[in-house]
Amino acid sequence: MNPLPEWLSAGHDETRFRAMLSPDSPYTLEQLAGESKAITLRRFGRTMSLYAPLYLSNHCSSGCAYCGFASDRKTPRRRLEQEEIRKELGAMKRLGISDVLLLTGERTKAADFDYLRTSVATAAADMQRVTVEAFPMSVSEYRELAEAGCTGITIYQETYDPLRYAELHRWGPKKDFRERLETPSRALEGGIKTAGLGVLLGLADPQEDALMLYRHLRYLGKTYWRAGLSVSFPRIRPQTGSYEPPFPVSDHLLARMIFAFRIALPDVELVLSTRESPAFRDGMAGIGVTRMSIASRTTVGGYHDAESSDRGQFDVFDDRTAEAFCNALRDKNIEPVFKNWEHAYNGPSHMEAEK
Amino acid sequence: MDSLHIGSYTFSSRLILGTGKFSSSSVMLEAVKASGTQLVTVALRRFNREQPGDDLFTPLTSIPGITLMPNTSGASTAAEAVQAARIARELSGSPFIKVEIHPNPQHLMPDPIETYEASKILAKEGFLVMPYIPADPVLAKRLEEAGCVSVMPLGSAIGSGQGLATAEMLKIIIRESAIPVIVDAGLRSPSEAALAMEMGCDAVLVNSAVAVAGNPPVMAEAFAEAVAAGRKAFAAGIMEKSGIAVATSPLTSFLGTEA
Amino acid sequence: MSQMITIQVNGESFTLPAGSSVSNLLASIGSEQESVATVVNDQIVRPDNRASFRLKKGDRVEILIFAGGG
Repeated sequence: MNPLPEWLSAGHDETRFRAMLSPDSPYTLEQLAGESKAITLRRFGRTMSLYAPLYLSNHCSSGCAYCGFASDRKTPRRRLEQEEIRKELGAMKRLGISDVLLLTGERTKAADFDYLRTSVATAAADMQRVTVEAFPMSVSEYRELAEAGCTGITIYQETYDPLRYAELHRWGPKKDFRERLETPSRALEGGIKTAGLGVLLGLADPQEDALMLYRHLRYLGKTYWRAGLSVSFPRIRPQTGSYEPPFPVSDHLLARMIFAFRIALPDVELVLSTRESPAFRDGMAGIGVTRMSIASRTTVGGYHDAESSDRGQFDVFDDRTAEAFCNALRDKNIEPVFKNWEHAYNGPSHMEAEK
Repeated sequence: MDSLHIGSYTFSSRLILGTGKFSSSSVMLEAVKASGTQLVTVALRRFNREQPGDDLFTPLTSIPGITLMPNTSGASTAAEAVQAARIARELSGSPFIKVEIHPNPQHLMPDPIETYEASKILAKEGFLVMPYIPADPVLAKRLEEAGCVSVMPLGSAIGSGQGLATAEMLKIIIRESAIPVIVDAGLRSPSEAALAMEMGCDAVLVNSAVAVAGNPPVMAEAFAEAVAAGRKAFAAGIMEKSGIAVATSPLTSFLGTEA
Repeated sequence: MSQMITIQVNGESFTLPAGSSVSNLLASIGSEQESVATVVNDQIVRPDNRASFRLKKGDRVEILIFAGGG
């Protein structure tokens, strides 16, 4: 195995971050919440950026121990054709959504790069913002994706512990820890404008993983200084043939983590999905989290044909309608923001202007 | 105090001195020696047969451990700065160049555009480019991208003694830079130099505050001690200011009691 | 007896024998060879070339040293 890159193994300017998360932290949760709220208000105002996920395909070539879509699971596989994608997007648009996250599994013949790029182009015709959470690609593939209208990618390292990572990713292309680690760099190099990172909370020591995640973000922020960065906090929830997380993360710890990231990285978008409960999402709105998914379906498609009996990648906890969720936000004096981006700015970032 | 690394050079002092405005060369040389500095900046000037004592090359380079960093002051354009740099390198043999372009004599503010153009060219020619710039975080990243080995944002206008007027911008630059950040210009007293080091900058450049002090060599020593103290404190981890607000009604009661 | 030519040195007129080299010029104004830079018509003349670099009428020569500056 390759040794870890210097930016991951060496810590710089992280004393405060560690102190906020340490088991004997001098900071109480309420103190951290107060500062996180103040920063969120100053930097992001009273708004919540909203998006919805669209699973394009659940074909997968990898064998992640914790995932309902692993290649040895019996779940029926399908992929959406372009016409179906358009129907799904139409249904999403009627809910007000204009910011979509397209998901696939690891690279397969059934859902390969060409399929993904075509789907991005289809989505970009209808949506202001198109983010992709798929498989690691090359710099030139990311450039093509950006040209097709992809404005951002999300890729979770799952865990930054190489040994745990090897245990959990049993076969397929996702076994390559280093390739995955370097994916956000390649994407930003290829002109993708924003990168979303995260660890799957529960898989490994959350304090360690949070610290590594912080280092990763600092490194990307310094190196790709024009890029937008975001962090998600997926926590393992039950799914088909449930995986028991060895390091379960409590609500208190998750909240503390979110506050720590907000305080240490005031400009990074912090994201919560519908894996989390309505109470947790409502509570964190306005005091740290600035982006949330809405009215999610985690089955392939599912917006147009809401009657699918397939199990999704994870069980949605907050299943409120878009309208109900927006009302909850407004009750907290937070404005739901569906469109925070201008279509005209899509296309590859011109980072290499003067090289 | 940990060493300063710039390019392939290592310096044991994080105080860089300028050589202008001293009452005489001999006072300046005493100050340089007293400070323990290893990097000194000099300007190019026409040889004047009436004043051969102006030449600093020989006296400075005979101080052990000194590296010269010529500057391009006098240049108003990138082209002039590039030419000056090439001439200076011939003379000094040192690859260091402080790109200093201030066309307006009122405030001696550095021209960001000419500085960027000159720095890009000189970096490609193999110079170790140290640009003197306004405290602009984006400009600092552009210069880093262009191949500079450090950035030198100003604390305040040259000779103004207004200290770290640009502190908030300096903090951003320091936080986001992958190359050494050297605060240059406007420092009036050793405590300001210490403060700059406590912020996390890698070195400071001081000229006027030493040159016009009542006793320059002693002031130079004081600055050296302040720089070392500030760096030591930074490395030791300075206590946080308490800025953490406590909300009037609890924000986290929705979480229930700790599991 | 050799002809004299007029050149510009540091912005001022200066006469010296035709065929003089840059080294000759430096000697006649009393500057150290090692601690000056010489530039003729914007072209840098290195120390090892100074003895063979002949000056012509009207040449603009800059002789530069390092002096105090911040």
